[in-house]
Amino acid sequence: MHHARDAEDKRLLETGEHKLLLSAYFDPVRERCFLRLRDRAAGEEAAQQVFVRLLEELRRGRTYPVPYRVVVWKVVEWTLGGFWHGAKDDATLPEDWDLAAPDAYAGWEADHDLALLFADLPPRERDVLDLRYREGLAPEQIAERLGMTRNAVDQALHRGHLKLRERFGG
Amino acid sequence: MAESVFELFDEYAAAYARGERPRAHVYLERAGEGADELARLLEGYVQAALVPAPDEDTIALVGAWLEGQPPLVELRARRGLRVEDVVEALVKGLGLDGAKRAKVKSYYQRLEGGLLEPAGVAEKVWLVLGRLVPGAEEAAAWRPRQVEAADMFLRVSEAESAPALAAGRANPASEETEDEIDRLFLSGG
Repeated sequence: MHHARDAEDKRLLETGEHKLLLSAYFDPVRERCFLRLRDRAAGEEAAQQVFVRLLEELRRGRTYPVPYRVVVWKVVEWTLGGFWHGAKDDATLPEDWDLAAPDAYAGWEADHDLALLFADLPPRERDVLDLRYREGLAPEQIAERLGMTRNAVDQALHRGHLKLRERFGG
Repeated sequence: MAESVFELFDEYAAAYARGERPRAHVYLERAGEGADELARLLEGYVQAALVPAPDEDTIALVGAWLEGQPPLVELRARRGLRVEDVVEALVKGLGLDGAKRAKVKSYYQRLEGGLLEPAGVAEKVWLVLGRLVPGAEEAAAWRPRQVEAADMFLRVSEAESAPALAAGRANPASEETEDEIDRLFLSGG
């Protein structure tokens, strides 16, 4: 599901377009930090710490065997988990995190890809969730596009919600 | 009355997918007792959803921050606004004494420069600023990267000590006692 983003990130890394690279993650990182900390000022502060780490890594010219998206979310998780508490801004990422095996982050990806989260739902329901949560279509538009009743669309959305609640402990 | 967690999640996620930059704190406020559950669901969604393409303001804000420039200055300049324009709007929009423009300007410039704690700024100030410079509140929270620890200490000290500021320690133009302008910029109104 994230192939296009990953390819664009790879290009931006190769061309050194750090502003565009980091801009894409500005809102998602801020939202995640706020959602975890539940305090707007603390969330903004944590998000800035995340971007300082990411920037320091970029300036070092470090390369990664995983998509940059994975690096961003790992740095968010380490920051929110207090990994760098008391460390200097230029402290490096954990050395043992350098992943050699190409599928080493496959397990991690299962929680970071909507398509994988909904993978065991019936295809029709997956289509509904894809149109709603990837494209943002209104339920009426989804019903029309897929030739379904509005009620069937609502039921599919509800099942997707239950799936997320089951996974993320809602 | 609190709204359904499912409906709030659905509304946020669809808006996020459309690239509308919904703000989670607004949805959590609407969720009442369901806020904890909604926060977990939204965090799960944000980490798994497609990363939306950034808009021009976001790119400008991040660019300014990377260069050590105040992001709020960048957003204001992108709209062709001078500091005086913003100050005028604040004075009028907040119904302040026009004779105190210099004090308002001093506070606004410190806010732009990352030398004023955004959490101490009143909601009605953000409302006026947001109409002129959308995204002003979040831009102000991203202080310029060259702001050092000593300045951060100043920010905290000021937020905790409005009367000291009003007495002129960091704002020579201010009066002897705390007034409405001090309260609007230091203690949330």
